[in-house]
Parts: sequence; C-alpha cells; structure tokens
Amino acid sequence: MIELTIYGRGGRGGVTLAKLIATTYFLRGKHVQAFGVYGAERSGAPIQAYMRADDEEITNHNQIQEPDHVIVVEQTLLGPHVLSGLKPDGWIIINTHEAPESFAESLPGRRVATVDANAIAVAHGLGTKTVPIVNTALLGAAGKLLELEFADVEAALAEMKFGGANVTVAREAYDAVVGQRLAGKAQPSKQRAANGPVVGILDEEVGGMPVIRTGTWASRRPSRHELMPACNDGCPAGNDVRGFVQAVAQRKDYDAALAIILKTSPFPGICGRVCPAPCMEACNRRAHDEPVNVRDIERYISDHAVWPQPTRPTRNERVAVVGSGPAGLSATYHLARLGYHVTLLEAGDEIGGVMRTGIPSYRLPRHVLDHEISFILRHGVEAKTRQHVDRAALLKLTNEYAAVFVATGLQELRSLNLGNLAADMVMQGIDFLDQARRGHVHLTGQRVVVLGGGNTAMDAARTALRVGARNVRVVYRRTRAEMPAIAEEIDEALEERIQLDELVAPLRLHNNATGTVLTCQRMKLGEPDESGRRRPVPLESEDAIFEIECDKVLLALGQSGDLSILPEGSDVRHGEQLLGLTAAPVFAGGDFATNAGTVTAAIGSGRRAALHIHKTLTDEDLFPPPPAPVAGPEAIRMHVFSHQPREKPAIIPAEVRRGSFTEVRLGLIDEPGHEAAYEEALRCFSCGVCNECDRCLTYCPEGVMLHDGDCRYSFNFDYCKGCGICASQCPRGVVFMQEL
Amino acid sequence: MARTLVTGNHAAGAALALAGEANRDARGCCAGAYPITPQTEIIEYLRAFNFTKGHIVPVESEHSAMGVCIGAALAGARSFTASSSNGLAYMNENVFAAGYYRLPIVMIAVNRTLGPPWNIWVDQGDSLSLRDAAWTQFYCESHQDLVDTILVAFRMSEDHRVLLPALVAEDGFILSHTQMAVDIPAQDLVEKYLPKLNLPHQLDFEHAATVGGLTWPRETEKHRREIQSAMENVPAVLNEALDEFAAVFGRRPDGAFTAEYTEDAETVLVACNTMARTLRRVVKDRRERGEKVGMVKVKLFRPFLRDAFIHAIGSAKRVGVLDRNHSPGSGGIFWGEIATTLRQRPDVLLQDYLVGLGGGDVTPQIIEEILDDLKQRKQAEEPVWKEVAA
Repeated sequence: MIELTIYGRGGRGGVTLAKLIATTYFLRGKHVQAFGVYGAERSGAPIQAYMRADDEEITNHNQIQEPDHVIVVEQTLLGPHVLSGLKPDGWIIINTHEAPESFAESLPGRRVATVDANAIAVAHGLGTKTVPIVNTALLGAAGKLLELEFADVEAALAEMKFGGANVTVAREAYDAVVGQRLAGKAQPSKQRAANGPVVGILDEEVGGMPVIRTGTWASRRPSRHELMPACNDGCPAGNDVRGFVQAVAQRKDYDAALAIILKTSPFPGICGRVCPAPCMEACNRRAHDEPVNVRDIERYISDHAVWPQPTRPTRNERVAVVGSGPAGLSATYHLARLGYHVTLLEAGDEIGGVMRTGIPSYRLPRHVLDHEISFILRHGVEAKTRQHVDRAALLKLTNEYAAVFVATGLQELRSLNLGNLAADMVMQGIDFLDQARRGHVHLTGQRVVVLGGGNTAMDAARTALRVGARNVRVVYRRTRAEMPAIAEEIDEALEERIQLDELVAPLRLHNNATGTVLTCQRMKLGEPDESGRRRPVPLESEDAIFEIECDKVLLALGQSGDLSILPEGSDVRHGEQLLGLTAAPVFAGGDFATNAGTVTAAIGSGRRAALHIHKTLTDEDLFPPPPAPVAGPEAIRMHVFSHQPREKPAIIPAEVRRGSFTEVRLGLIDEPGHEAAYEEALRCFSCGVCNECDRCLTYCPEGVMLHDGDCRYSFNFDYCKGCGICASQCPRGVVFMQEL
Repeated sequence: MARTLVTGNHAAGAALALAGEANRDARGCCAGAYPITPQTEIIEYLRAFNFTKGHIVPVESEHSAMGVCIGAALAGARSFTASSSNGLAYMNENVFAAGYYRLPIVMIAVNRTLGPPWNIWVDQGDSLSLRDAAWTQFYCESHQDLVDTILVAFRMSEDHRVLLPALVAEDGFILSHTQMAVDIPAQDLVEKYLPKLNLPHQLDFEHAATVGGLTWPRETEKHRREIQSAMENVPAVLNEALDEFAAVFGRRPDGAFTAEYTEDAETVLVACNTMARTLRRVVKDRRERGEKVGMVKVKLFRPFLRDAFIHAIGSAKRVGVLDRNHSPGSGGIFWGEIATTLRQRPDVLLQDYLVGLGGGDVTPQIIEEILDDLKQRKQAEEPVWKEVAA
C-alpha cells in the first residue's frame, strides 16, 4: 500500500489533488481511497488530504498516520507537523520557488523536492496571483517522483475532465520538479502536537477554540480610503458640502460648519437662498428618497452661527479687482485672507454687482447681502465705487498693482426688434430690476409681458407683480422643460399667478383699436440647435398668429461680456493669465469669462483666480490636490438607511407674498424639541467619508477591528480572515477589500 | 455496469436518481431538499439530474423537506431525501409522520454528530435518535454497500407487506466525501429490479379521504400493531429483495448481520459502518496469529432481528459492542438492543465500548486495545469510554 498525506488550504484544490493522484492508480487497476479532513469549513483554512492505493481492497478508513510521502501545497503550511510519521525515505514535495537545498536546516536528512507550481499555474492562467490553482501542476510533480509515466498523469486529468492548461502545467511541473536527499541527520518524526487540555462546559476556565492565527487563511485584506462626496464634486465653488452638513449632524456645531464654508465661500447666506444647488442635484440620497436639503441647511448655518473675526493684510503686495459682483468679491475675500491688500473697483454706485441689482429682495434680503459684503470688506479691503475701468484704465492698473483680476460680468444685454413702439414700451429686464429696487419704477395696473426663460425673466416677472402690474405673462419660445431658470423659481412664479406661455415667439408691438398689442407666433420644437436644445420652429396653422394685450414688455433674453476692457489681441480664457501683454499679471473670471450664470460658479472662479494670483506672485501652490474618485450611488448601501422625507422649509403663501418684497422663503424653522437643520443634516449619508458609525466594527464576526482614534480604525491582521463583511457593511464606500 | 471513482455522496445521489427515474412511467419521483454538511453533494447531484418525471424541491428547512416527501409519497411519487445531524433533528416530527403514514420514503442519513457544540464529524447518534419513528434502518460500510442498499431499500419498503420508510446511513466524510471505486448500476437493470410504485393508500380525487385524522386509543393500538407486523415481515421481504438483487445485478448485498470468522470464535466484536471495515482488518490479522476472534457487522438495525443476531454470534462467550453513539443515562444504543437480545444467552459476557464519539479517528490500534480488554475481562461493567486521541 502507498499512503500520501497532502497539506493544503480549504477551497484551493488540495483534496482534488488527492483524488487526481488516486485516479492515476485507479486507472491502473488498483484499489484506492482519497479523502480530505476538514476542520473549519472555510476557504483558506489548513486541511489535510489523504490518498491510499493498494493491490488489495482497502479496509482502513482512519487518517494516515505514517505516510510514504507528503505534499505541501503552499509553503506557508510547512512546519514540524509535516514530518509527523513520515517514513525515512519519503519525499517531501513542496510548492515553492526555492531549491531543495534551501531547506537544509529545517529538513536535514530528508528527501526534499521542489517545484514552483505557483509560477507555472499563474503563467497559464490557472487561478490568480493571490490564489493560484496549483493542484494539477503538483499532480505532475508528484507523478514524476512517484515514478509514474506522464501518460498516467494525463489519463487521470482526462478521467476527471481537467483539460486545457491543466495538462500543460502538469507537464511543466513533471519536467521541472527537482529533488535530492539533503545532508544531515533526519529529525525523528514528531507526532502531531496535542491541542491542549480538554475543558468541560461547567469548568471554571471554559476555554475556547484553540488560538489559531487565522490571518494566514486570508486571500484579501480590508483597507480604508476616502472618496469624493458627490455633493462636493458638484459644487462649483469647491465647498466641502459634506463637511459642513456633517458638522451639524455629528455635533450640532454650527460655528464649525460656518468655518468650513468660509474656507471656500464668503456667501453662505446668499447661496443658501439663491443657489440652484447642484449639490442637491448630485446628492446620492436622491436615489433613496429625497436629496438632503443642503441649501436650507447652509442658510440656517449662516443665520445662526457666530461669524469669525475678519483677518488683516499681512503682505506688501497690492492687488486690484475690477467688478464687485460675486466673482470679484470672492477673489477679494480670498486674496485678503491670503494677506494681500485688495482694492476693489466698482463702476456702479453700490458694491454687489448683479446680486444687488439683479436679484430682487424677496429672494435675497438686503440685510443678508449687506452683512456678507461687509464681512469681506472688513478684511482691510479698499472699496471704490463709481470707478469705471476701460482698457486704458486697466493698463494703468497693471502698472500700479502686483496683479489685476477682471470680473466685470455681462454688460451686453441681448435685444430684439419689436418695431417702432419699442422705445417706450420695451425695457431690459436687468435695468428694470435695478430701477425697481431703487423704487424708481411702478407698473400699476399694467399688463406686462416678459420675454425669456431664465432667472432674470422670473425675477422680472415677479418684481413686475410686486410693483403693481395688473397681470404678468412670461412668453418663451420653447417649453418649460427647456427653461434655464431654477425650477423652484418657476413654481413660485406660477403660484403667484404669473402666466407662462410656452412655445410662443414675439413678433412685434403695434397699436390696434383697443390699445397696444404684442403679436405672437406659436412655435413647435424641431431639430436640436448648437446648444443641444431643440430649435423652435413656427407653426404653420391659421391660429398660429395671435395677439397679447400689453402695456409693457420686459426683455430677459440673455447677456454677454463686454470684452473691450481687455488689451487688444488678448483672449478671455477662464482663470488663465493674459500673458505678455501687460506689466502685471491680469486674470479674468466670473461670468465675464465663463457665462456660467450663477453666484456659486462665480465664487469658485474668484477663488481660483486668487490662488492663481498667489501662485504667480509667490510660487506657492495652494490649489486643492486632485480629487479622489467620486462616491456615486453605487458606493452607498442604501438599504441600511430608513426612509425619511426631507424637512419642509417654510414659505409665505403665494396670495400674501405676491404683493410685497418681503422674503418669500423662510428656510428651516425650529420648533420646541425639534432642531430642523440638525434633523435634516442627519439625513446626509456622508458619502465616501467615514463618520464613525462603527458599523464595520460592529459587524466584524471576528472582532478584529479597533476604533482607536478620530476616524482612525485598525485591523488585527493576525486574525482577519478577509471575509469582507466590514467592506460590505460600510454604508458609504470607505472600507474596501484588496487582494493580497 | 460502470466502475467509477466517486465520493459516497455522489454514489448515493446516483442510486436515488436511478430509482426515481425508474418510476417515470408511473407517478414519477420527488424529493424535498435542504442542504447540510456532509450531505450537500447528494442534493446537488439530484438538483442537477434531468428527471423525465420528477421534482427536486428546494425548501427552507429539513422539516419541510420531509413534508414535501410525505405529500409527494401520498400522491404516489417515489420519494426520497437526505439529511444529517441537526437536520435530522429538525425534521423529527415529520420523520415520525412518514413512518406512521406508512409511506415508502427512502432517506439517506449521512451520519454526523448532533450538536451543540458544533461538530461536523461522524457519529451514529443522529440516525439512532430516530430509532422509534417506525422506519427501517440500514447502516452501510462502503460505497457499493450504500448504492446496493438504497435500491434494496426501495424494493423492500414499497412491498405491500412492509410499506414503511427506510433510513440508509453512511458515515459522514469517511464515506460521503471519500473517493472510492464503485459500480453504479445501469438504468435498465434498475428498472428490472424496481417495479413501479403502487401505493395502496395513494390519495385520489375520485375517492376523497383524510389521512391521519383523530383516532381513539383502540385504533392507535391497532395502528401500532400493524406497524409491528410490517416490521416482522421485513426478514422475509428483505431476503427476497436480496435474492432478486443477486439475480439482476450478479451480486448479493449483505443481509441484516454479517458474521465473519465466528465459526469457532470465543470473542466477537460488533460494529457497523466503516468501523466494521477497520474491525475486519484487525480480526483478519489476529486470526492469522491464531487467535479465535470474530466479528459481526450490523447492517439492519430496525427491525432488530434478535434471532438472527443470536445465530450470528455463534458460540462466542465474549461479545464487545463498538458504539459510536451514546444514550445519556444508559449507554451505547446498539449495546442496549444487543443486551435485550442476549437475555436468551446469559452465559455471554457483553461489554459496551463507546468509541469514536464525535468523530474520533478510530485506528486499528484502538480496536486492538478494545479486543485485548475484552479478552481478559473478568466481568461485564458499565460502558467503557474508549477515548480516541484526535
């Protein structure tokens, strides 16, 4: 009888190797037996497999005590127990890249054979580098040492239906295995070590499973990383949205939340009212129930937190900023905080740009605007109004200042020829808004038509209502779906009983018997134009032309920058310096450079300009590092979270608000025992960033995770088996598994 | 016949599938299936098999697995399943129901220690815990024995003189996961051997009936006596089944007890399953050294054929029972049966040895020690705990 013992790991082919070897003998007419002994039923756990072959029927069913040879499937399994009972002339066949001589100290006097089955298997695509499937290679090696013909090996593979690369690796290993008797005296074979005392259930020291360094069973390991939250990724100002929301959710620390916002944006109160909230658009919670109401949380923080003290200039350099809209003010703020003396030049008579002139106070109360502008200016900023800067003045600035930032916005207003009556009846929406906020225009009893579909159109329409218009219609040549205005603004306008005429294009104003009318053309949507939106096309039918009675037409058809300020031959490229044309570096940003159209985008542009200027003047690069991959919905385990609708912000009813400029939206309102912003912030998943929920640690079945610091977790890899439960239970994509 | 190298579970699955397929021209076959170590490969084999007329129904527990078998058997399908250890315990109630309903279900019990504490290795305690469930019980020693016994079990159980379910046991891991050579019979021969199932009390829409409703004590008494009568028919039916098997397949499987080297044995050891094979080797070696020792392999545990056992031990004066099981408060369960049997033989010194409990690796050495103990024993004592170092 020949008896073989195989030392392997569960799930990696050790028992199959015993069966393969048995098959070589079976096909040659012997009686055989092949079986494994399983302990922990777990992939990677050490197992033994046994093979017996004999000319007579085998009636022994116990484990092999005195093998003729042993095979060690993985080098990490080597140990004194491998020699247990091994006959003096027995082979120890080891899967290793080392040569037999390397084992002279550990296995003196023994016949040792080695073959690099890992390399052979991986080279032919059997298994992975972490878990190569080596049994068919080891079959070849064993076959050679057992003095089988390779044909016997091939026959066994065919019998068990292992084809393809398996035959190749068996052949390679059959040829490659080398063996010799090592010098020295063989150690007497020790019996297997006893497992320790046997304990009973009622014993005082009940004991437990033997201490086994199960870390050696693992083929992969957990690790932790941070991903970019989707909200942060979506914010054009580069705000740490997740950060400030979590400051509220974890600690109700509104001051800390404000400090986080102020690192990137000086306008939390403004953005908390007028930002279209791309962060909420990107919010992964949207796929679960409703996105987190970030905008109202930001507003709440701004309204409730304690604002810090402004810093003072510390450097000698002076920087000029042309244009006091959100981009200019943002650049001013960031430059001032970097220590520069900033001179802010505004053509108009008030600081604030479109935030003051173009956004009505029912959306953005004046006190909020004034407070946040004042905060910026108190950083040692010199602000000058009624300073129109043209090309010549710009060149002069480049001689007086270390750098100049141009953010003059969109001065050119697109117009439309509506015929001879236009002069009296037609007004640019932007101009109307500025006049209205000063109290210089009233439209009492008038029928007003607003042409356009963006935020200016909505603002103009709702302001017209508030300065006395009898009725207001917004005429737009495409449909509501194509209107660029913020959806909530459109909703609120419609609630205020402003009429929306979709698919209508204006033709001309003229007088008829009853009064002035605007002749209009009904449209339909045709093929997409260069912007990708479907081009409106006139309808052909008889009733396609109709008339609207009106007394006033307000235009909100779009704006573009007045580039005459720039030196001749220069080109506006967002954020880039206009090279070689000026004494000091000049940067351009905000709507003037990008036409992005939002306060938030302008804030980001201004900040990047400040960092560019700083880098140009000092060589110090303070730009944020390249972001980590974004945590999209697939990174979030939604099922962990219960459903919870968002906190509803308060709003003045339409009938009440349409008659005044009082602020329409009131944000999140606290009630006794119910902190609204906190409750809303709790809905945040903290995508991609650990918030110490400890779920990983709680679900670890081995108890090998430690929470040993602020967002610091460690793993005891002596015992971690790589089961991956921590990674599968992390709700936010922070814990992940890596192949070893 | 195909001689092939497969595990015990593979062999058992193949035998069940052959039997099930053989009923395809009648009501087909059915199994309720739930996995448990070390039986799972049987279920996997059955699920992968393409039955012409049959369903292997995965369920959420062993209790339901037997429930499915009961329902299917009452509908006339040849029904079978497999389980082990705590799975058998979980289906306990329905195991009794199958017996009391007189349904010829065949169940493979892959012997595994009952827990807690958790233990995956072999021990006969699980199948023996169902001793009183009105099932016949067979204990198999090899892959071939297992395959053949499964087919015999269907034949015997479906015979109208028996109509009791049959439990067929194999050692967990030692047979179930061990690859050895076996002849798997051909389908046509199995069909020669197994007639179509014809269940007398098969449920039938034409003659509506309720099965298992309330009975008074006197009906229950009669029911139990009927079951005992069926058990008493087993020796004759089994004998016929074994003879017919030999005629069809060319080999006669072992009967209830197999006595070896007992003609003039003074000392006899009794065992079942693979321990009997290791025992056989020891007995053979000792015989070659001139000792008068013998062995009795137990295959049929229920019914326990007392007369046949008395006959098997011959004139031996010392009988040792190797019990890989234990009934707390008494001793080995085989020992208990044999003690009752040997009340006719007060001259025998009967000693129980509890060996290999919880799956200990029983080596020839251990059996040699037991044999030595039995030979020099002055009197019988309470069961000896023969510890196995493992």
